[in-house]
Amino acid sequence: MSPKNKLDLWLPRLVLSPSLLAVLIAVYLFIVWTAWISLSSSQMVPKFDFVGVEQYVRLWSTPRWHTAVANLFIFTALFLTITIALGLFLAILLDQKVRAEGFLRAVYLYPMALSFIVTGTAWKWILNPDLGLQKVINELGWTGFVFDWITQPSFAIYCVVIAAVWQSTGFAMAIFLAGLRAIDTSIIKAAQIEGASLPRIYLNVIVPMLRPAFLSVIVLLSYISIKSFDLVLALTNAGPGSATEMPSTFMFAATFRRNQMGVGAASAIMMLMTVAAIIVPYLYSELREDRNAH
Amino acid sequence: MKLTTILAASIALAPVAAMAESKGKVEGIHHWVSESEVKALKVITDKLATKGYTWEDSAVGGLSGANALQALRTRLAAGNPPATMQFLGYEGLDWGKQGVLRSLNDLYTKNGWDKALAPQLLAFVKNGDDFISVPINMHRQNWLWANKAVFDKAGVKEPKSWDELIADGEKLRAAGAIPLAMGDESWQILEVFEAILVDVNGPEFYKKAVIDLDEGALSSPEMIATFDRLRKVRGLVDDGFTGRDWAVATGMVADGKAAMQVMGDWAKGEFLAKGLKPGVDFLCFPTPTDKPNFKFVIDAFGMFKVDDAVTTAGQDAWAESIMDPEVQKQFNLIKGSIPARSDVSVDSFDDCAKRSYADREAAVKNGAMLGGLTEGFAAQPQFAGVFTDVVGKFFVTDMSSKDAVQALVDGINNAR
Repeated sequence: MSPKNKLDLWLPRLVLSPSLLAVLIAVYLFIVWTAWISLSSSQMVPKFDFVGVEQYVRLWSTPRWHTAVANLFIFTALFLTITIALGLFLAILLDQKVRAEGFLRAVYLYPMALSFIVTGTAWKWILNPDLGLQKVINELGWTGFVFDWITQPSFAIYCVVIAAVWQSTGFAMAIFLAGLRAIDTSIIKAAQIEGASLPRIYLNVIVPMLRPAFLSVIVLLSYISIKSFDLVLALTNAGPGSATEMPSTFMFAATFRRNQMGVGAASAIMMLMTVAAIIVPYLYSELREDRNAH
Repeated sequence: MKLTTILAASIALAPVAAMAESKGKVEGIHHWVSESEVKALKVITDKLATKGYTWEDSAVGGLSGANALQALRTRLAAGNPPATMQFLGYEGLDWGKQGVLRSLNDLYTKNGWDKALAPQLLAFVKNGDDFISVPINMHRQNWLWANKAVFDKAGVKEPKSWDELIADGEKLRAAGAIPLAMGDESWQILEVFEAILVDVNGPEFYKKAVIDLDEGALSSPEMIATFDRLRKVRGLVDDGFTGRDWAVATGMVADGKAAMQVMGDWAKGEFLAKGLKPGVDFLCFPTPTDKPNFKFVIDAFGMFKVDDAVTTAGQDAWAESIMDPEVQKQFNLIKGSIPARSDVSVDSFDDCAKRSYADREAAVKNGAMLGGLTEGFAAQPQFAGVFTDVVGKFFVTDMSSKDAVQALVDGINNAR
């Protein structure tokens, strides 16, 4: 083998190795470390003893954790469904060759440029019955109008959904729009010649062709919802009375504020397993398709 | 101490803050970032400068010090602790048990500091036989702040019991004010709850239920009655309390929109900043009780074990600056609290601080000096957290008092 060929062989590996090492340490090593801590009696600082699943038992006997898990499912389900439905709807409307499309697209995309802290704070004020929407409408003359979900523990989680949907819909729209643009218009024309109505064309022809776009949106939005920490903190601070607690806020509180590092680690592992349950099948199916394509 | 080298490795990659200690520097982590807090801190650092040491500020604000603690964990793991750090509640004792804090016994003995401090306070600066921190100030937590004009208009005077306070609410509402200003944040609710708990049931009960976490006291009828009273207090609060910051609530009292607020004396600064005068524009009295008590919150600085003699000498200078009577006086005039030392005169302080000082003297004698639960001076954070959760939930839902007590007992047992 000539020296040049040797270089060709080793250069990619050499270039990739630092990032590989960083990922191995910063991601996988810490996953193992967290798992280890979750089996120890760690409170304020890490301890490396072994107490079995005691911390998991403690975690699952904490009512606040049950609230957090329930909220995660409510939030993820609603957030994904509404964002995808709205994003797709907007993308289809924008795809009708409307005037000033570039401007409209930018308008819908702008919320995505904000941080969740800004979104959360703004919506905290909009949803506050004494400051925001309710007050404005009451002053306009409709005095019976009530919109105080954010004050009600059983409804506050929907306020988090509203703010998150507002922020992410434009993003979903952009991806769907790109997907729509990639579809060959002759297919639509062919369907029209066959006499299919427009709604039918979209439902049976175009939406199924958007499958790759759907997958990207679902994966990206799921991970936004799992890590929805800043939004909750800014919007409700997990209140009223821990009604909008999320696994991420629970983990932070347990680990850093309540000296329950073991419980915090256990909750982190539970979150990891939830994500893995979603991502692993997805990766598996994607990788399998890759192999088929070759 | 067996802290992980893995953590250390991850930090090595992060940009390293100026590690080189130049001669005569004292570096400290604290979470004082508001304007008055920074000004107050300058009193101590100026004193330190006269002793020939410069202060290196490592302020980590946010989340009531949780961010600062996180910064400390990282620094300790990297084997690079700061010279000193501000501690609230059990934090100092917990770190002392980890063996990372320096014993300050020689300084205490030399200067007789232990005699200048209230015995109940010593419990938070002494780990076993070792003094591990020096306290700069003492806030009183169980205050009731009132707008004088609103009180006069409604014909209401300083209430003498919680039942009276609740009854006064109606008169204040009739006078057009929201009786009690507060936010729905769980810690604000806990402030009210623990005030009722000790004011109605007395210091002994508080010690049993909150400090000793005695299951009998926690599940007693007195506890249920405390929740019942808290439910009545909910009726004094307006519906716009969602996400309201404590300082905003203080502002409502200052503006006359609301009549009262239950809050520690850090609220005083908000009134003073608006140019209001104690006794003239606003009133301060302890939360109503026939069993006088004093709930305290202190800020103390601990010194970390370090190898080099220069830093150790700097720590000595820092501790002496903090415990200097004149520094304690000037610092607290700005911060709104009273000196941690019981032997510093408060003649130049305002009436609220004077009352605080007198009440403290009485409470020390009567054994009614108690640590505040909300700020972490009564129970360890994992237990205080259960109180926060249950009381916060109770206040914003229609949970029954009995269920709340059950949740409290279960939660405490689960965290044990």
